[in-house]
Amino acid sequence: MPLNFRAILHALGFIVGINGIAMIPSFICALYFHETKPAFSFCLCAVGSLLLAFLSFHFSHQPKKSLSVRDGYLIVSASWILCSLIGALPYWLSGTVPQLINAVFESVSGYTTTGATVLTEWDFPNSIILWRATTNWLGGMAILMFIISVLPLFGTGGHRVAYAEAPWPSYTRTSPRISDLSKTLFTLYIGLTVAAVLLLSFSSMGWFDALINGLGSVSTAGLLLHPGGVEYYGSFYVEMVISVFTILSSINFVLYLYLIQGNLKDIKNNVELRVFLSIILVVSLFVGLDLSNSGLYDSLSMAFRHAFFQVVSIVTTSGYIIGNPQLWPGFAKALLFCLFFIGGCSASTSGSIKVIRIVVLFKLISRGFVKRLHPHAISAIRMGKKNIPSPMVSSVVAFICLYGATYLCSAVVLSLQNLDFETTLSATAALLSNTGCGFGDVAYGNFGEFTNPLLKGFMCIVMLIGRLELFSIFFLFVPSFWNTDRINLK
Amino acid sequence: MDLNLRALTKVAGLLLVVLGGSMMLPLIVGLLYHEPESVRAFIVVIVPCLLAGGVLILIPGRQKSRFSIRDGYLIVTVSWALASLIGAIPFVLSGAIPSYVDAVFETCSGLSTTGASILPDIESLSKSILFWRSFTHWIGGMGILILAVALLPTLGIGGQFLAKAESPGPSLSKVTPKISDTAKMFYLLYCVYTVLEVILLMFGGMNLYDALIHTFGTVGTGGFSNYNNSIAHFDSAYIDGVITIFMFLSGGSYFLYFLVFRRGVKAFIQDGEFKTYLLIVAMATLLVTLGLWGFGIYPSPLSAFRYGVFSVVSIVTTTGFANSDFVLWPTFCQMVLFLLFFVGGCSSSTAGGIKPIRLLVMGKLIKRTVGLKLHPNAVNPLKVNNRILPVEVASGIAAFTFLYILLFFIGGILVSFDNTDLMTAFSAVGSCLGNIGPGFGAVGPMSNYSLFSDGSTIVLSFLMITGRLELFTVIILFTKKFWYPYG
Repeated sequence: MPLNFRAILHALGFIVGINGIAMIPSFICALYFHETKPAFSFCLCAVGSLLLAFLSFHFSHQPKKSLSVRDGYLIVSASWILCSLIGALPYWLSGTVPQLINAVFESVSGYTTTGATVLTEWDFPNSIILWRATTNWLGGMAILMFIISVLPLFGTGGHRVAYAEAPWPSYTRTSPRISDLSKTLFTLYIGLTVAAVLLLSFSSMGWFDALINGLGSVSTAGLLLHPGGVEYYGSFYVEMVISVFTILSSINFVLYLYLIQGNLKDIKNNVELRVFLSIILVVSLFVGLDLSNSGLYDSLSMAFRHAFFQVVSIVTTSGYIIGNPQLWPGFAKALLFCLFFIGGCSASTSGSIKVIRIVVLFKLISRGFVKRLHPHAISAIRMGKKNIPSPMVSSVVAFICLYGATYLCSAVVLSLQNLDFETTLSATAALLSNTGCGFGDVAYGNFGEFTNPLLKGFMCIVMLIGRLELFSIFFLFVPSFWNTDRINLK
Repeated sequence: MDLNLRALTKVAGLLLVVLGGSMMLPLIVGLLYHEPESVRAFIVVIVPCLLAGGVLILIPGRQKSRFSIRDGYLIVTVSWALASLIGAIPFVLSGAIPSYVDAVFETCSGLSTTGASILPDIESLSKSILFWRSFTHWIGGMGILILAVALLPTLGIGGQFLAKAESPGPSLSKVTPKISDTAKMFYLLYCVYTVLEVILLMFGGMNLYDALIHTFGTVGTGGFSNYNNSIAHFDSAYIDGVITIFMFLSGGSYFLYFLVFRRGVKAFIQDGEFKTYLLIVAMATLLVTLGLWGFGIYPSPLSAFRYGVFSVVSIVTTTGFANSDFVLWPTFCQMVLFLLFFVGGCSSSTAGGIKPIRLLVMGKLIKRTVGLKLHPNAVNPLKVNNRILPVEVASGIAAFTFLYILLFFIGGILVSFDNTDLMTAFSAVGSCLGNIGPGFGAVGPMSNYSLFSDGSTIVLSFLMITGRLELFTVIILFTKKFWYPYG
């Protein structure tokens, strides 16, 4: 079946149009703060995007038949790449970021909810900062739509497992309709955002900071506004609000639908949620103990406060920074490093491997023991009370292996910059998991030490690969993706 | 079903006798070089070993005929642990390594053919002690090849269970009518390699003692040297070349050599694992050589290749010899070497690590998953060496690989208690788990593991044995299911 290019064009036009509309708040912000150049560039980009959208609508049509799997993957990959490129233009045109590759990096980092930067200065025009936060927010919402509506249909193991555990509630007792789901999710996401912004604006920070941090935490991007990170506000209240909202955005959004229906039993029995919360508690406890033992912080409560915030920030792949984790003792750092490879729950805005896959991995190992003691025993991998079919398990295995392989190979490429080991390995983990901060030179989410433009381009690709669950991007390099006649049917 | 403890004591007895017997060699070395303290230390260990071993073997007892998989796991783990604990005694008694924990680390490192050392100054030790230290590599390498297939069948114990316990599944299929025949072939080849390498090294100007020490380190894929700066001490391209070739051979599958012996060279080409192994070595060598040359560490491509290929082969075969300090290399070259930490040599060799066959299966699994996602109705079974790989084997291999990574992370967290930098802690763990030897950061090829506390030393020793015995063999003893299989 050939790819349905007209339908793809139609979908892309729609997405570019939304992107254009999303530039309007930044434009208004630029006018409000009297920033002429940014205002001009936003106006130009918004008009251009809407024009493109109009053109693509003109030359394409609503798909008559349903889209194929490959069409879906192509739309997802292409829309992320396209949006990133268009989203880079305001940075570049306004003169805030003179090099185009840096502008693209900022934009990709925004849409993939990474929150990393290659820029060294902090005083940007407010409208540009708002645009960064807006791209974070859009990226977070888009990934929710992608996972909830596209992935369960086409199947990426981990999400299939999560779906098997927590399927969509059916509204109409027939089949759940994607458009209904999307609307509910959209409302939920906006609700969370409004709540986060409101709660943050009660603190001592101004409304603008509250808005930016609200957008950044709900999308688990972790945009840093000030050098030194969240420590700048010095407020326990702010830290707690940010932590709570990053956690809320990192749990399976389907559970909110259960909550709306009053289905508390399934939420309570959700394995992924339980494991996720336990990881946060246990790791924070250990990191807190190690910190208080190290004497870096005066009081026990300060140690635990910093530990909890940093653990949550990394496990939800937000990448907010508090204090200076670079000075933390080895044990705490090693624990944080492991968290880079876990991430939040499936069907959330967080990145990385995801808790559900880690759970499957542990069950697989434990089955390995059983198999070795009783070679003829038949034991399926169970999640809650359901057996997981073996193709799903092997899909999860393939995902984790591919994640590891991608991680190691990317680390080799990034090591060409000749920075130290700790920086290179943690930077790669931070990019692939869309966290956005690491250790060493990238401790404050600043990837400017990677000066080579080609490597900057490569880092953009790594972020995209991580955000789109690996396969979506890798498919583009498989010959049989483009040409079905080349399927190897040996 | 109860555990067969009688078999356990019998194997332990045999092990003691073998251990006592093999200490005779360093004893002779000690006598030749007039080292009274070491000689005394060896005699003090040898005599009780032989006596206790003899008693354990000859002690009358009802021989149980049934021998379960669980007995196999217990016996294998206990024998390696026991050998490490006893083999450490001469180091302490001779005063070479004052702390028993450190001595156990050194012996574990020897027997597991790791080659990691806690000794800051190797050259200050007596010759007989250094001989024993390297000889443990040779015994360990032999042990891993033989224990499973030859030693235990002579006790009337079915060896296949153990072969299963120690070796990864797909490659080891029966080639000879009796499994003990395969074993004989293996150790014949092992001895041939040893003799050949000793001769070739002596051609390069080494004396017999040095040649033996470095041969033990090579064919056992261990990596103990009797010089502080390892192979760099000789600074000879010929010696580098000989050792590189023998490391590469020792990292290849003995089973495959046996097939080549039978079926000719085309067996090499038909073997998926060997092809993967060769490809990985070639790619890594190319990258490291280019890196060394491109970053200007070595001005000529030829010397970049000499040091590049040596380090690549040394790491990938989990040997750990060094002819240069790769910690000082550009990050790119180090990162390529770090990747090789997770590769290791072929199955049924003396090398450790995850092994290319498992990586091959995982690679094929990824490829198949991509295919299935795009074309959900395609029938596409997993094939290795043109044979369909059963799903259970594939999932066993996945479980192994994940357990390996899991142990790597857990080990890294535990060792980082010592507050070293992340790379030192994690690379030390990767190195010990993969039985390699050197790591990065503060545990590079020209440094040693003496910076770690006793706690970390114990963790690392445990990981070496665990890695050596293919993880599950050891870890399974810590599961409840092992002790209460039907409870």
